[in-house]
Amino acid sequence: MEITDRDKFWMNNKLFQFFRFIVLNLKILKAVDHSKRS
Amino acid sequence: MARICVIGAGFAGHTAALYLGDKLGRDHQVTVINRSPDFVYIPSLVWVGIGRMDINKTLFDLEKVYRRRNVTFIAGRATEVHADDQHVVVEPAAEGSQPVQVDYDYLLIATGPKLDFEATPGLGPAAGHSWSICTPPHAVDARNNYLEAVARMEKGERQRIVIGTGHGGATCQGAALEYITNVHKDLVRRNVRTKCDLAYLSNEPELGDFGIRGLAVQHRGRRRTAEDFIGAVFRDYEIKPLVGRGVTEVAAGVAGWQDMEGNSGETKFDYAMLIPRFLGQPLKFLGAEGQDVSEKIVNPAGFVSVDGIYGLDYETLAGNPDAWPAVYQNPNYRNIFAAGIAFAPPGPISRPHVNPNGVPMTPAPPRTGMVSGIIGRIVALNIIDLVQHGRMTHSERMTEMAAACIASMGDSLWDGSAAVIMVYPVVPDNRRYPNEEGRDPFVTHMEMGLAGAWMKRMIHTTFMHKLQGRIGWKIIPE
Repeated sequence: MEITDRDKFWMNNKLFQFFRFIVLNLKILKAVDHSKRS
Repeated sequence: MARICVIGAGFAGHTAALYLGDKLGRDHQVTVINRSPDFVYIPSLVWVGIGRMDINKTLFDLEKVYRRRNVTFIAGRATEVHADDQHVVVEPAAEGSQPVQVDYDYLLIATGPKLDFEATPGLGPAAGHSWSICTPPHAVDARNNYLEAVARMEKGERQRIVIGTGHGGATCQGAALEYITNVHKDLVRRNVRTKCDLAYLSNEPELGDFGIRGLAVQHRGRRRTAEDFIGAVFRDYEIKPLVGRGVTEVAAGVAGWQDMEGNSGETKFDYAMLIPRFLGQPLKFLGAEGQDVSEKIVNPAGFVSVDGIYGLDYETLAGNPDAWPAVYQNPNYRNIFAAGIAFAPPGPISRPHVNPNGVPMTPAPPRTGMVSGIIGRIVALNIIDLVQHGRMTHSERMTEMAAACIASMGDSLWDGSAAVIMVYPVVPDNRRYPNEEGRDPFVTHMEMGLAGAWMKRMIHTTFMHKLQGRIGWKIIPE
């Protein structure tokens, strides 16, 4: 696996990363929900 | 009126104290003992260590928070636990103060680690050969010495920087990874990266192990491991990985190590940040007659034995998720609990290895950050249960626990980056998830990008808010 120029573009594309920011927050909430939290 | 005593106010102890104060503070006596008067937000010390964050932004005054929650705070060092008589002896931090006795009905030990620099000759700031970012004074010292190395690069001198772990049994590889990638970004920003050789020296058997046996995710339709991700980052950042190495000795400008096959070698450096092995804090545990009862409470490394199954070999432990503790209660003194680094895990998560020369090379299980906070909450809720109803109703093993870790790889909100890592469960459970990793593939996730840098900064802000017990603190997950 290598980090290509295309990867670097998307890893720093502000609009795409804002979308990922929302998705990652939801994923963390999902992970917390999966955790037992009893 | 019940008396609850918490020793330590890190992620685990402070989280527990917030819940205990919230539910019991008015009608019962909750006391927190901590060496420092301040809470330290340790995850951000990686930024302090390169001069990108002021140390004061990682601290807040504990007494102010506890006063609002009817929690008594003692800044000092707990020295003795009288387990039968149910009291703790504290040496207050204020000069000239006499030792104080704190009586308890329930005791939570959440002391965090003793940084065992002595286990590796020459390691640590006291010896002066390597630095650490584990405490605020260490991070400030590390920053000052790092900036001196930068100044030498700016004068045109070539520098060698080594970052990683300083012992075969060390943990917290994530912090070392964050620090080295932040150093890289900082050197790029200062236009001196070409003047520096960066090396990552770690006891992990492979990159991305993190003491949790690594992780694997689906990435663009292919199975990718943390080793693939971190290896790609290291190649892109031109960081030399030296994994599977246990540092055995540090001298001026050189770290001696042994690898997994038993070969010896050394890595030269001009600046090194190496994380030591962790031990439990050296508390004395005494019985009714003043006799030593340590064996009933702590293991030889000083970690508190709790309700896990100890003594299993690695394969048996790996196949038995119920061997991991659920309520973090000492089996001999059932009013003593432990949380965070202070509790003794039943064994390693990563496969243990001892090289032919007898040097152990096993990353210890991480019990920091989110894991610490969750365990602190579980223990606090159980103590509240015991006080109010006489029985515990909460439990969460590390084989049932999800954790998120955001490893900063550059703090800039414009062009920074971070690896966002989610694992569920933290300790693989092949019974529930009969795949290669023993983890839920729909929750376990890893990705890198600018969004991670934003999340890292957001988490710093929201956690400082939560941990100061401000409005809505309970709805922010640990």
